[in-house]
Amino acid sequence: MASRVYVETEIREHPRTQRLLQRMRWPAVIEIEHYGEVFNPRSQNFRLQKKDPAIIIARKNKGHVLAAPPGYGLGGEYNYYFSHMLNCMYDCRYCFLQGMYQSAHQVLFINYEDFGEQMQQIAAQHAGEPVWFYSGYDCDSLANEPMTRFCEYFLPRIAAIDNAWMELRTKSTQVRALLEIPPLQRIVSAFSFSDRVSHARLENGVPTIAKRIDAMRRLQQAGWPVGLRFDPIVYHANYREEFVALLEQVFDAIDASAIHSVSLGSFRLTRGHFRDLSRLYPDEPLFAQQMSLENGIVSYPRERERDMIDFCESELLQRIPRQSYHPCAWHD
Amino acid sequence: MLIWVCALHCEAKPVIDFYRLKKSHDDNAFDLYLGDGMACIISGIGKIACAAACAWIAARYRQQPSLAWINLGTAGARDHELGSLFSLHQIIDADDGQRYYPAPASADKIPGSACMTLSRPSDDYRDDCLFDMEASGFMYASLRFSSAELIKSLKIVSDNRQVKTGNNRPEVSRLVQQRIDSITRQASVLVTLNDEIAALSPTTEYWQRLIALAHFSQTQRNRLRVLWRYLMNRNFDAEKLLAELAGCPRESIIKTLEQLNYQDSEGL
Repeated sequence: MASRVYVETEIREHPRTQRLLQRMRWPAVIEIEHYGEVFNPRSQNFRLQKKDPAIIIARKNKGHVLAAPPGYGLGGEYNYYFSHMLNCMYDCRYCFLQGMYQSAHQVLFINYEDFGEQMQQIAAQHAGEPVWFYSGYDCDSLANEPMTRFCEYFLPRIAAIDNAWMELRTKSTQVRALLEIPPLQRIVSAFSFSDRVSHARLENGVPTIAKRIDAMRRLQQAGWPVGLRFDPIVYHANYREEFVALLEQVFDAIDASAIHSVSLGSFRLTRGHFRDLSRLYPDEPLFAQQMSLENGIVSYPRERERDMIDFCESELLQRIPRQSYHPCAWHD
Repeated sequence: MLIWVCALHCEAKPVIDFYRLKKSHDDNAFDLYLGDGMACIISGIGKIACAAACAWIAARYRQQPSLAWINLGTAGARDHELGSLFSLHQIIDADDGQRYYPAPASADKIPGSACMTLSRPSDDYRDDCLFDMEASGFMYASLRFSSAELIKSLKIVSDNRQVKTGNNRPEVSRLVQQRIDSITRQASVLVTLNDEIAALSPTTEYWQRLIALAHFSQTQRNRLRVLWRYLMNRNFDAEKLLAELAGCPRESIIKTLEQLNYQDSEGL
């Protein structure tokens, strides 16, 4: 639990703020005018801050729902993302969030109604066409669920919009809020997995692979659509054996024929993020590996990347229907 | 390197005594006390004096891989008891409204407080914050040289609505001395964090010897720094490496270090 909480004065008395503070047993509360005062200053060390990140409770004033970057999505034409939180409670060394913000503090936006209203407007603009809303771009969708009660507000909201779909992307096991209600077929819970070696070395604080598979299994058995995200695949000497072992572990518990979607992508970061992260973690082997720069993106050299994707893709397609496979096409 | 910044000698005295710091006779811009991995500078009263002291000492220790800072001083409060110790979590400059957020207390439960830095003494206290005359200048300057996680401001109440002891120097020393255990525990935590960051920078001597092996362009130096820093953090033997690289052309030096990086990171 966070040792301190910053709260924007304007929303200090908001019911969601009050509930959050009660839930956190009223830690040291520091009132601020705008979350940017604490979150944005340059003189912050992400690495040190990640040892004891604070919670910032704030109101998002604009840009609640944004068009997703090209190549992001599951094949639909209209893709949007939104972030009811900034930053993640986990500490995955490959994650772009480490280089995205100056701060490791977690921002929780409490004005859910503004997000919901904008989703409704966007869905209305594309009436009759499926519109995807991706949560979990700037945060983990479910990891803080007991605190944020994100599902309680957003799931019924999406269910009420005929053409709206939502992806909840997570590495957590927090699925209780979903299991308590009847399954919704336009809400896809997508679980991210890395192989055992990458998990042990690079995913600090993330629940074990077995526990996450179990959470996914329970959702699937309850009738919820679930997805798999093998992204990023990280190179190491035994990645082939470890990826196969991961697939076996997953598909021992999950019904592959009923999977909503599976995506696969190799490790990649923008040049700026990669530079910032290798400065922050100069002792990290991930950033000492052989990489190449292409169109502003740092990733494995083409040949190695092709080998990795070809191998993983081929193993994957032996286990899942081709139509549920969505490769991450970032080269385009 | 931990730097203590105090406005007055009487505020610093318990720290100087605790760590047995010795007065430096090499400097005359500010009174300076030195110890093992530690310095204590007496800035004089006011935010400008405090900022000047921070900048001066940061320049003096510019070769240090990382600096940590503690501003220790007295403050006025409306109702808090004399001798109460606070770790500032918000500092507001009364002149320009600028707000700063230093690292909160760690290790033990020192209560946090906001503090307003004034240009002139005042006893027109507010109930939601302390009053002092240095903290905003301290933050303004120290944030130029270190990240907020390595900066703390600790204040001990010396004046309130009933009693004023801020001008009684022996009494100020006594109030600080009463809290020296909590204060030094905060310092220990900060030193540990600072050491972690400092350890990520390779030893200057080896780095200088590496770049003296050939004439490298600035771009090549930047690449070398990344490669070398990784190997040093992975405990490669610097002496052995330098001996192997001696006499090699510059492209070959870079290539060798790249290969070592790649090989070492293969297994993650």
